[in-house]
Amino acid sequence: MKLRKPVTLILLITFFLACAGREPTPGVTDTEILIGNIQDLSGPMKELGMALPHGSNLYFNYINDKGGVHGRQIRMTMEDHQYNPQKAVAAAKKLIEQDQVFCLYQIIGTSPCEAIRPMLEENGIPLVAPATQSGTMSDRSKTGWKYIFHTDTGYDKQANILVDYAYELNASAKVGVIYQDDDYGENVLEGIAEAEARHGVTIQKEAFQRGATDFAGQVMNLNKGGATHVIIGGIVREPIIVMKTAAAMGYAPQFLGISPTMDHRVALGSGEAGEGFIAANFAQLYNSDTEGAELYRELFEKSGTDPKVMGMYNFYGFITAMVLVEGLERAGKRLTRDGLIKALEGVKGYDGKGVFRGITYGPNDRAGTEAVVLVENRGGTQRIISDWIE
Amino acid sequence: MADLVIENLEVHFSGVVALDGVSLNVREGEVFSLVGPNGSGKTTLFNCISGFVTPLGGTIDYGDLDLLSKPPHSIIATGISRTFQNLQNIPYMTVLDNVLLGNHSRIGNRETVRRWISRRQRELEEERALEVLDFIGLANYEQKYLSGQPYCIQKLVEITRALVSQPKLILIDEPAAGMNDQETMEIAKIIGEIRDYLGITVLVVEHDMSLVMAVSDRVCVFDSGNVITIGEPAEVKAHPEVISAFLGESVVA
Amino acid sequence: MKGRYDEENLKWIAPLIILVIVLPFLLRGATFSYRYYLYVLNIAGIYTILTVGLDLLSGYTGLISLGHAGFLAIGAYTSAVLVDQAGVPFGLSLIVSPLITGLFGILVGFPALRISGMYLGLTTMGFGFIVRRLIIALRTWTEGSAGLEVSKPVLFGFTFANDWHNYFLIYLFVIVVVVFARRVMKSKIGRALMAIRDSEHAAQAVGINLVRYKLFAFFLSAVLAGLAGVLFAHTMRFISTDHFDILLSIYFLIMVLVGGVATIYGAVLGTLFIVLLDFLAIPLFKDWLASFMAVQVADIQSLIFGCIMFLFIIFQPMGLYGMWLKMRIYWKLFPFNPKIKQT
Ligand SMILES: Nc1ncnc2c1ncn2[C@@H]1O[C@H](COP(=O)(O)OP(=O)(O)O)[C@@H](O)[C@H]1O
Ligand SMILES: [Mg+2]
Repeated sequence: MKLRKPVTLILLITFFLACAGREPTPGVTDTEILIGNIQDLSGPMKELGMALPHGSNLYFNYINDKGGVHGRQIRMTMEDHQYNPQKAVAAAKKLIEQDQVFCLYQIIGTSPCEAIRPMLEENGIPLVAPATQSGTMSDRSKTGWKYIFHTDTGYDKQANILVDYAYELNASAKVGVIYQDDDYGENVLEGIAEAEARHGVTIQKEAFQRGATDFAGQVMNLNKGGATHVIIGGIVREPIIVMKTAAAMGYAPQFLGISPTMDHRVALGSGEAGEGFIAANFAQLYNSDTEGAELYRELFEKSGTDPKVMGMYNFYGFITAMVLVEGLERAGKRLTRDGLIKALEGVKGYDGKGVFRGITYGPNDRAGTEAVVLVENRGGTQRIISDWIE
Repeated sequence: MADLVIENLEVHFSGVVALDGVSLNVREGEVFSLVGPNGSGKTTLFNCISGFVTPLGGTIDYGDLDLLSKPPHSIIATGISRTFQNLQNIPYMTVLDNVLLGNHSRIGNRETVRRWISRRQRELEEERALEVLDFIGLANYEQKYLSGQPYCIQKLVEITRALVSQPKLILIDEPAAGMNDQETMEIAKIIGEIRDYLGITVLVVEHDMSLVMAVSDRVCVFDSGNVITIGEPAEVKAHPEVISAFLGESVVA
Repeated sequence: MKGRYDEENLKWIAPLIILVIVLPFLLRGATFSYRYYLYVLNIAGIYTILTVGLDLLSGYTGLISLGHAGFLAIGAYTSAVLVDQAGVPFGLSLIVSPLITGLFGILVGFPALRISGMYLGLTTMGFGFIVRRLIIALRTWTEGSAGLEVSKPVLFGFTFANDWHNYFLIYLFVIVVVVFARRVMKSKIGRALMAIRDSEHAAQAVGINLVRYKLFAFFLSAVLAGLAGVLFAHTMRFISTDHFDILLSIYFLIMVLVGGVATIYGAVLGTLFIVLLDFLAIPLFKDWLASFMAVQVADIQSLIFGCIMFLFIIFQPMGLYGMWLKMRIYWKLFPFNPKIKQT
């Protein structure tokens, strides 16, 4: 008689476990889709870590208010990795196993994303729109490539395009590059190497350490080497200091920047020295007159957030959210992880209400867009000066 | 036969003459005491013997070994061990471990590895150390951490550590400094026993004249890096220069 | 005759080993996300192997190292290159890579013969930076700073495919390393290293060759860091320069300090404590802390670690292990003598 209670309990537990086991897809109920996001909320990139998901949620909330995707509300849960690849893996495990998210989205940073590749493969879980522009994200020779849907134009591609653009401006240009000695710079160099081969030239390369604040040596070398066009593979502080250092030396090449330098703060901070600085970007700007940007501005203003952070990164979160939602819509009512992968593979030329050149995936294609627009800085404001360049 | 022969030893420390041509010899089997005021170079002489200080000139021979050609860590292999004037102990090790440390040079690599594996081997090693501890009178202290033990115990542990390597000559630097009369007599007794039972030659630096007079076979008086006189305790006590210089009061006292 | 090895409380070892073995099963029974916890435990295990080595060097020998993340990186990259590019079997790499790391340890040890304390800390920290530059410079093998994918561990034809497998692999080494280190440190070698820390004169007088033993301490410490590196590379399966931050070296030192220096067990406890705090506890309450403290969430981590270290140094210099020892004595004597007299 005494045994009855435990036995019932065990039976009950087994029953619930069995029920749990029959659930078709983790993170998906009739009313909700749970997605997991890992940001740098307290590490070196924490400013981005706050901005990106905020922008994404603007769009998710907009969709949710309209009734969600196939009647399901999108809910995003966040983890912090402090830009540490190991913590990224721990966070991903937590999201996948404990929170049972349906898919991963927007994880920031190249090394954190690279580090979780084995997990993606092990769990068959997609990662949509990793928040890094490294071209390695869509590299099909890497573990788990099948599960990563990269949206942005890779740094390598961008560098390639910028070299072409320099020769377009001036056929007898002498191109130089100054790059950060980390995974970002590594990817820039890959593109540079490709361009060198195509043009049959050698490009002067100057490296700086991540976190460096003094670039006098590198700028001096570029000046000595006679570079007329200098590509800057930095983020925000680096291009500002590089351009100011050059101006102080009386050295005035045309500066061109990889997309992280497109940040509004570069235009503001570099002043006179940054006049005419041209940066690449893989999408239209938040202040452009595309439909997507207009919707963004409207939602942003309604949300009552400080307009100072309206720029690049919130918008970046916003537009990648559109890509995920597009995939979810296409995956249909019976949502599975494989279904999402199939659905995304069917995306061809998706322009996100005019902000993209056209995002295209395929069974063997994980690189979203491969085009850029060029953004010029004049008097502290940024303006698009080119059509899509591929 | 294995005498310690020191000749014309000269040590300067940036202008200060610490030893000014010192010559003496310590015969096997005796207790030889060095006395002299502070700063007269006694410890420096010890440091020369054990290789910590390289003299400007002179020789130190032990038997037919030239000690000056050896680095400090090779001295113990010649059969000479020492203690220090200021405690040089390992406070966060037990008394037993401190004593076993003295055994360092006697354990080869193969034996070390054997002891990682065999409990019996470890116990053998300990037994020997415990015997010496017993000899010194520290039988119940082996498990205690040295840190926090009375000064007197720590000093005795240092002597035990120097003895456990079974040296032929032991250098003891001011063993009775800071001890009361009873402890001083205890030390005197131990020094006598080291010579008599263990057959180890003792070279000791000491200020306490009662101790020196009680145990020494010969006494050497130092002053400002010079040897004033060497002789049996009674002789030295009677030496006029010694009495006038500094010994007088303390002998009486 | 009563020897001190009776003190080495062997009766704790067996239950602890059993706990290590059954823990994953308990976790699996208790939670669906057991693999997440296993992953965190695996990190702790790998770091433990390293911090035990760091304890030998900094705790026992008193030679501060702020470059151990560098040794970890060397072990990891060496093994990744050997196994995945040169075709060396993982089992062989488990032996070769740590030895190669050990050679680097000797290299770093040479300056330690002349300097100590803060300067040695700075020198070893510089070594950490040099390793990073080296990894970037050798991009033919390391893929520069882009990071390197690494294969799974394969031993005797068995592939360690997931956290579950890795757990047993890693903790096998943890147990072996801890037992081995404990033995070595209780022998002539450990005594020699401690003697070097506390009195170089006494050490030399008893016949310890300072050069040889200091270099040996660096070698052994680097070998263990290298072993940790091999396990790190193949169980984490992706390594990059971001993994081997200078901050990590500092954390290693904190782990040893918090656990209690020169005890080995202290390094184990300290590492577990800090890793669990870092991965499991702090994320839980840091937002809550930030809600009423005037600090940024970002700074809370360093703040907490700083405070912990400070508190330990002031109030519990013997570390967690020291606390445990006191507790044990307390329980033993409990009804009769609640006042603990320290010996
Ligand atoms: N390492 C050293 N550097 C400089 N001077 C020293 C050193 N060691 C000893 N001396 C000096 O040498 C002299 C002899 O010192 P020491 O041998 O210690 O005397 P004692 O042991 O007889 O008291 C003293 O003047 C002392 O200041
Ligand atoms: Mg003296």
